[in-house]
Amino acid sequence: MRTITLIEAIKEAYQEELRRDPDVFMVGQDIRGAIFPHTKGLVDEFGPQRILDTPIAESGMYGVALGAAQEGLRPIVDFMFGGFSYVTFSECSVTTGQYHFLHGSQRSLPITMTAGVGTGQRLANDHAMSIHGTFAHHPGIKVAMPSTPYDAKGMFKAAIRDNNPVMIPWHMGIMMLKGEVPEFEEEGGDYIVPLGVADVKREGTDVTVMANSLQLQNAFKVADKLEKEGISVEIIDPRSFVPFDLDTVLKSLEKTNRLVVVDEDWESGSFANTVSAKVMEQGFDFLDAPVIRVTLPDMPVPGGYMEDYIAPNVDKIEAAVRKVLA
Amino acid sequence: MKLNKEQMIKLYTNLVRASLYDKMMYRRMLQGKLIGFYHPAEGGIAPGVAACTFLNKDDNLNPHHRSHGITHMISKGIDVSTFLAEHTGKDTGCCKGRSAWHFSYPDDKVYQQSGFIGHNFAPTVGWGYAAKTRAQGQVVMNCSGDGSYGEGRAHESMLMAQNWKLPVIYWCENNGMAIFTTAKEMHPTPDISSLALGYGMPSVIVDGQDVFACAEVALDAIEHARQGKGPMFVECKTMRYNEHDIGTPDLSGWEKRSDEEHEKMRKREPVKIATERVLADGILSQDDIDAINQAALDEIQLVEDFADNSEIAKPTEAELMAAVFAD
Repeated sequence: MRTITLIEAIKEAYQEELRRDPDVFMVGQDIRGAIFPHTKGLVDEFGPQRILDTPIAESGMYGVALGAAQEGLRPIVDFMFGGFSYVTFSECSVTTGQYHFLHGSQRSLPITMTAGVGTGQRLANDHAMSIHGTFAHHPGIKVAMPSTPYDAKGMFKAAIRDNNPVMIPWHMGIMMLKGEVPEFEEEGGDYIVPLGVADVKREGTDVTVMANSLQLQNAFKVADKLEKEGISVEIIDPRSFVPFDLDTVLKSLEKTNRLVVVDEDWESGSFANTVSAKVMEQGFDFLDAPVIRVTLPDMPVPGGYMEDYIAPNVDKIEAAVRKVLA
Repeated sequence: MKLNKEQMIKLYTNLVRASLYDKMMYRRMLQGKLIGFYHPAEGGIAPGVAACTFLNKDDNLNPHHRSHGITHMISKGIDVSTFLAEHTGKDTGCCKGRSAWHFSYPDDKVYQQSGFIGHNFAPTVGWGYAAKTRAQGQVVMNCSGDGSYGEGRAHESMLMAQNWKLPVIYWCENNGMAIFTTAKEMHPTPDISSLALGYGMPSVIVDGQDVFACAEVALDAIEHARQGKGPMFVECKTMRYNEHDIGTPDLSGWEKRSDEEHEKMRKREPVKIATERVLADGILSQDDIDAINQAALDEIQLVEDFADNSEIAKPTEAELMAAVFAD
């Protein structure tokens, strides 16, 4: 099978869905010129009406999507960097999340939101913060984040076809990660990866590590290293945060009885906390040790080299695994 | 655009209906028969009636938050029985009793009442984008008050609407008050419509107490937008007779509004002005006017009966949980 990067896989998802459904369009800032390569060349095929650039005005930009979705269109909104979604948070989270429910299930909002997120670029807080935990906290929006090119393409296509609002950021640290993705024309090439389904990315027997995106790559490195010592690590990629596939985690814990949750988000109010609490309530009997979390400490993400001192990394994950096994 | 007799009768009828609906809502709030709060519209009902009476069913409308949109929606021809049911927490409500006053009539292109003032401006661009993309002559009537133009969203919205020549009417119902605070203090120029100049957007100022004057401007603005000429800004200079919402004091800044101010405002009561006009022009007789009032009262009684005879919505938590996401 051919190999492409994660960012190319996302672009293919856009292309195929824009071709499949004339109601799909994309709105953002500098998406025509492709500030990130997932929109490169789209304007040539689909034109500036469907690949729509707005002024630097996030509320108005998101408003294009919100109003158009109420009118029955299926917008994809690119916030560029995840932190920029906070500029219009009352629309893209509060209003959007409550819309279907509060208005009596009369209309759903098929909006796909995306943005680059994560540490590793030394860009500091507003350009490095994770947003999945915050969006997951507010009800009514599905939240997912891909870890591989195959998942990226399938999950973005699932998000665009979903009748609900979906926030699906992608991690800048794995933007150029390569992986196998079938061609559209191949058998099974027009595939989706359903939202709400976790994936066991590596099977193991001694300890379960839950990790996503860049941190999944770090978890692989830890698992490789510990394997040489005879420690078998099972790695689960949640893929979706809302809805969350707790069953896959509990099933793994029946076998390993130990859980480390890696989450590149601040500790307080994080998704890692949610997982830890759910496992404590629903999987307590499986546990031989307390759940350990590896998160960002509760401080703004510093820029420059200091990002390296605080972000979850191989060493921190390894230490957590050893601790939960001790 | 000059109004014909038929148009004037329609406007007058809707003005009477709007006035009586607003009074009904006020009364029910005092009676404890409304959930949440009510922001009365008395004194400022003419602009909404004028903006909405000649809209088509497929034209988008953002109703003003004052009157909770009821004066606008009845003028657009929406049956608001289910709105009152919603506002009383009943299972027959337009949003199944879940929304308090966050009504929504998507089939009539009224998509949301937001809890955030000024949150009409952002989706307005999306409605305009959809209308322009589909090119079927649909227009967007975006009604909100002077206070809402303090939001940066107003700027973002007008910027994009003018850039893309979207069929949007920024219908500003300027009653000079945002809760207690006056537009005089919060806006640097005498007219909110001065904002439009910066975008190169045409704008008009009209006497918001005169429903017929407002309607002539509304018809022009709707025609302008329908023809693809882009957005237009209309500022209706109007008034607010009552407190901001029932239960709050009637202040200007932090001092009580004076009796003199109230007396002066009452002289320009929109139903009174319109009644004098239709009688003077021989459009309607006093008997006609009495009949219009009686019909409106009968209609409102039916709306109230529908709400009062409906059951309080009592879904289970599991049923509510199942409604968070669509299929």
